[in-house]
Amino acid sequence: MNTTSVLWQKNPALAWREIDDATVIISPSESVMHELNDTGSFLWKNIDGHKSAEELAALLAENYEVTPDTALTDTQSLLEEMSSRKLLVPVPATGGELR
Amino acid sequence: MESRSILNAPDANSRGARKQQLELSIGCVPFRLQMSDRQLFRAAASRYAAFAAAAARPIHITLDGYSKSESQPAEFRYEFEGAALRASSQETRFDGVRNEYALDSLLRVLLSWKLATRHGFLLHAATVVRAGKAYVFTGRSGAGKSTVASLAPMGTVLTDEISLLRFENREWRAYGTPFWGEFRAAGANTSAPVRGLFRLVQAAENRVTPLRPVEMLRALLPNVLFFSAETEANRRLLKILSDAVDSISGYGLAFRKDAAFWEVLPK
Repeated sequence: MNTTSVLWQKNPALAWREIDDATVIISPSESVMHELNDTGSFLWKNIDGHKSAEELAALLAENYEVTPDTALTDTQSLLEEMSSRKLLVPVPATGGELR
Repeated sequence: MESRSILNAPDANSRGARKQQLELSIGCVPFRLQMSDRQLFRAAASRYAAFAAAAARPIHITLDGYSKSESQPAEFRYEFEGAALRASSQETRFDGVRNEYALDSLLRVLLSWKLATRHGFLLHAATVVRAGKAYVFTGRSGAGKSTVASLAPMGTVLTDEISLLRFENREWRAYGTPFWGEFRAAGANTSAPVRGLFRLVQAAENRVTPLRPVEMLRALLPNVLFFSAETEANRRLLKILSDAVDSISGYGLAFRKDAAFWEVLPK
């Protein structure tokens, strides 16, 4: 799935918690634990169903010492990974409006 | 001719056997089990003798009895080898329990679920009390929980298999449970404030290493007994565990199989 054209939200079925600089996520239906590092936690906190991959990458570049290109590549990669693990789900399209 | 009907009292089943009640308290969570199987009752009464206690407003569990609320939606259900637990807002039922082992399994499952609303959890861990403080040793099967328990001549073994940790009166306390491990003895029905959580690794030397909260949480999660797939229940559990690793000191404990490992533990 092309992550740049999709808005993502956290899977509402998950339990998650920030602890130290990490985020621990539990998938209750699969009894699986996932862990995000510092930058992954930063992105996770900012995934709210309203920000695109570009907007998330811009936030990442503003807050960490990383170039915009690297931030975008890393953000897209993480979104794809989290999507494949069902940690994220796409925001349902409304009214046929595309972004 | 005068009509006449016979009404069975609620405590009588179809064979007329009177139900017996067993009252327990595990980690200050009170249960009242009601059953008509006399053999099972005797086995359960013996198994849980150290935890027998009457308390106000216990969680009432009916075994293989008449259901008052079959149509009520279950808040939690669990099946294990033909035995089934069903908890609704009206009642908690165990069905298909044929022996004490099945009863023990369902009781563990129910307790783990009830603790999530009482700021506590069950953990695969041995707990030993020394000088009034509880040392909790966790690890997967084979990590050495029973070995640690057997190497505690100066302490009281609360359990060598399943520990109950609960936050109350502004401190974390570890409780004994009647759930047995290889030690083959019911845990002690007492509690103590937790001195530390220890992730067990068998090694050639005894060494203790502080763990960060996230490292301790990583060690705890695979060893926590929890059986609900419901999101809110898991969120509650994760909050409880996060609170626990934030406020209890966590350590990695490399130990060889002798009692000298106690010398490297924090006092």
